[in-house]
Amino acid sequence: MSRHLARSLAQLLLTLAGVVTVAFFLMRAIPGDPALYMLGDYATADAVAVLRAKLGLDLPILQQYLLFMQHALTGDLGTSVVTGQPAMTEIASSVPWSLALAVSGMGIAIAIGVPLGIVSASRHGSWIDRAVMVGALLGISFPVFWIGLVAILGLAHKAGLFPTLGASSEPGLWTSLHHLALPAIVLGLSVAAYIARLTRSAMLEVLGQDFIRVARAMGVSEHRILYRLALRNALVPILAVISVTFAWSLGNAILIEVVFSRPGLGSTIMKAVLARDYQLVQAGLLVLAGAVVFVNTTFNILYGVIDPRLRTR
Amino acid sequence: MAAEPEPVALPAPQRRLAPMLAHSGLVTGAVILVLLALVALLAPWLAPNSPDKTDLMRAFAAPSWAFPLGTDQFGRCLLSRLIWGARVSLEVAVAVVALSLSIGTVLGALAGYLGGVVERVFTGLNDVLLAFPGFLLALAIVAARGSSLESVVLAVSIAYVPRVAVVMRAVVLTIKPRAFIEASHAIGMSDLRILLRHVIPNAFPPVIVVATVSAATAILAEAGLSFLGLGVQPPTATWGNIIADGQTSIVEHPFISIAAGLCIAVTVIALNLLGDGLRDTLDPQMRRQTGLKAL
Repeated sequence: MSRHLARSLAQLLLTLAGVVTVAFFLMRAIPGDPALYMLGDYATADAVAVLRAKLGLDLPILQQYLLFMQHALTGDLGTSVVTGQPAMTEIASSVPWSLALAVSGMGIAIAIGVPLGIVSASRHGSWIDRAVMVGALLGISFPVFWIGLVAILGLAHKAGLFPTLGASSEPGLWTSLHHLALPAIVLGLSVAAYIARLTRSAMLEVLGQDFIRVARAMGVSEHRILYRLALRNALVPILAVISVTFAWSLGNAILIEVVFSRPGLGSTIMKAVLARDYQLVQAGLLVLAGAVVFVNTTFNILYGVIDPRLRTR
Repeated sequence: MAAEPEPVALPAPQRRLAPMLAHSGLVTGAVILVLLALVALLAPWLAPNSPDKTDLMRAFAAPSWAFPLGTDQFGRCLLSRLIWGARVSLEVAVAVVALSLSIGTVLGALAGYLGGVVERVFTGLNDVLLAFPGFLLALAIVAARGSSLESVVLAVSIAYVPRVAVVMRAVVLTIKPRAFIEASHAIGMSDLRILLRHVIPNAFPPVIVVATVSAATAILAEAGLSFLGLGVQPPTATWGNIIADGQTSIVEHPFISIAAGLCIAVTVIALNLLGDGLRDTLDPQMRRQTGLKAL
């Protein structure tokens, strides 16, 4: 077990290093001069030169990379060109908002998606299975920002059940939750569709295995088969589904934040992109990818805890 | 359990066609897609008006013979814009599938077949790339390159190559130990020939399924990027742009955004139906091969 833990942590560090590297080179794959891009077409040559020196763009690329790594380790992810504040500060202030949305959204998605997927699989071919699959198909096919727009139109404007904005400046837990509700529900439902389909696949695979057949032949009740045999073995694949879906949901979360005008990491990155604040874009990308790596590693460790066969020897 | 008899040759294509035609989901999806392709290809003749012609006197006009779905806030014919938008979506889907599949399958096949260091490097690189949520990666690439159709295609393709490669590698790993591969080695076939002649053709079924999924993702990603203002730039009509345009007037005139969203949904549903149908009817072993990573 401790070997598995050590191996997982080593992989975490390696992947994080890779993530930082990719984020660094991605933003420098821009053809042309980043400084010119940031200052716009009317920049003077002097201004461009000053900015280049400030951003360290004159140094050889390898040196820039090492400097970047060094800074990243101390938490310095560059400075926002627009506000002059360290990128880390901008990001740190948006993280709580995104975290609230991500946690509540994923919570709703898991609470709806996993049971539906399991029920669908255990009643394979029945009307429940078909209904769930039709619903899930619709859920993954409509663009999430469109669902958000329709939800705002229907439930917020027309019905007045929810506020039309995703956040409010008024204090109070209830107000915050009320504003979080609709974005979280929309995110949750769209991710739930995805989770339901994948969970159903995973469950069907487990239920198709030989030991289930044997148990049925031996007369074990369907109820026992499902809850004591199938579910336990499906636990790891279902956790894998959740882990994979989490990364994907972050992309959706950006669109939801924009549609609902809600502050958060997604909105921050969007504003940085539109303002050509590439240091901030890079930093935001890094943080999000880092979050995915952390979640994946946690799940990897969990797999080892649950299923001894998955521990590295 | 006794090992299943190894197929020594590919099953005849005809034997695969019949169950496909009987699968209602697959047929529905295929028919919708063919219709869509026709609409996209015949856009210049099908659209009643020019999609870009503005007429502010006629903004938000009600449906009429001249403008079957009415007009948007600039007086442009909505139906024409939707038809031309289908063209863009089709272009994006085809381009992304072509690009990501051609690169991804080769990389995945090499990694799976060669094994060793190549595979290790591949897996490590993939883990890093897959840590970036697909849409975000596409967003960053478009942000770096500037917004255009080419940028969107490139961005989504790059974001999707690792996902395709992972599936391909998983498939190749199941093909490699099969008897006919060993036989090919034994008679002295070179690795390259084995790859081209045996491995890749046998890997087609899962790859085709991945193709439908990546096409669906590409269309949704293009819509999302265009909606954010980072995709194909206005005034070009794309479904994502139309939704964005309709957003400002959504309370009084919701139909614009709703119609474009429905177009996207129908297309993606058709692609998913096709993909699910293919997955069901092609080699049932395939589900075990691709597992969760198919998405």
